[in-house]
Amino acid sequence: MEQLIKDLKLQIKEALNLEELSLEDFDADAPLFGDEGIGLDSIDVLEIIVLLEKEYGIRLANPQEGKAIFKSVRTIAEYVQANRKK
Amino acid sequence: MDNNWTGTTYGNEWMHRWLIRLLRYIDTRVIYTFTSLCVIPVCLMLNPSRGIIYRYFRQRVGYGRIKSAWKTYVNHCLFGQVVIDKFAMYAGKKFNIEVEGAEHFTELTRQKEGFMLLSAHIGNYEIAGYTLVSKEKPLKALVFAGEKASVMRNRNKMFAQTNTGMIAIQPDMSHLFEIDQALTDGEIVSMSTDRINGSPKFIEHDFLKASRTEHASDAQSHGAKAKFPLGPFAIATARSVNVLAVNVMKSSLQGYKIYVTPLHYDKSAPRQEQIRQLSDAYVSELERLVCRYPTQWYNYFDFWGESPEPSDERTKLSAERKHD
Repeated sequence: MEQLIKDLKLQIKEALNLEELSLEDFDADAPLFGDEGIGLDSIDVLEIIVLLEKEYGIRLANPQEGKAIFKSVRTIAEYVQANRKK
Repeated sequence: MDNNWTGTTYGNEWMHRWLIRLLRYIDTRVIYTFTSLCVIPVCLMLNPSRGIIYRYFRQRVGYGRIKSAWKTYVNHCLFGQVVIDKFAMYAGKKFNIEVEGAEHFTELTRQKEGFMLLSAHIGNYEIAGYTLVSKEKPLKALVFAGEKASVMRNRNKMFAQTNTGMIAIQPDMSHLFEIDQALTDGEIVSMSTDRINGSPKFIEHDFLKASRTEHASDAQSHGAKAKFPLGPFAIATARSVNVLAVNVMKSSLQGYKIYVTPLHYDKSAPRQEQIRQLSDAYVSELERLVCRYPTQWYNYFDFWGESPEPSDERTKLSAERKHD
């Protein structure tokens, strides 16, 4: 799980070009959206959806499911571990 | 000044219902005349849109003072007409519609892949929803969730006959999943690309530099950057779908002309470059039509905005992050 979290942090950082954010500062439990967290928005969600599809063969279609999955890097990692096809 | 549009169709449900009933029996031209003589002058006195549109004619189109004032009135009259036309359609009235570039739409509907239609708040886009339809491919139109219930209900009724559905912009981002799903399922997704709704990210372009319009004089011409939402371009390039610009302009009292133009971008280019190319193509097409129909510009807010504030600058920087 820890390796997957590390991989996801790197992939998200690259996909969203979060150059200013170091991997050490990228807290796996920090909220991805809103002022308290990294401050991503809907366009970034789209990029992460595409990333999960390309890298792990996961197709996300349910918006309700999406809200819970995209809470933090850890919740994404848990979902990826349970559903990855690659 | 706020440079995001936050409005909705004027009037309450009761007024909308009565307008539709009235339009079943009265010629639209009667209502056009009444609106132009009695409603628009009052609106111009009460509404700040007069200043916004006057400045648009002066600074962006390059008209003189008197012509700008007159065209401001004409612009509001035409806007009144397209709103009346929308309700006239709900009442069952038909318009003469000419389509330029219909073959581009037909060609894409024959392909398995989904594609996108990008429009703007010029002319009367809603007419296209009833004309550019495909039996094989459902069309999903992205709409403002805060629109009046009566408008949404009538749209639903009209769209149900034309294989068209709506996706409402939601604060919880669920519309994004619906758009993505529709494109993956090979459907058509249509959205306006001249207002920033949902994500605040934007891409800046020189738009309507007065020097590029035929009416410009040196004294008046100075370019200005305008902000366009990043979302539609990011979605199209993320899924590598084909994109058409669709704009519907009022060409006569009872007629509309639909312009369908393919927007090309290099799908093998780095992602940020794809977004730049696609948005360039969109803005060029929008500029071409606004120059041809300058009085049909209906963005009644400060489209070009003031100097970016610090928060705007942060958003811009974040919008311009590399996606490749």
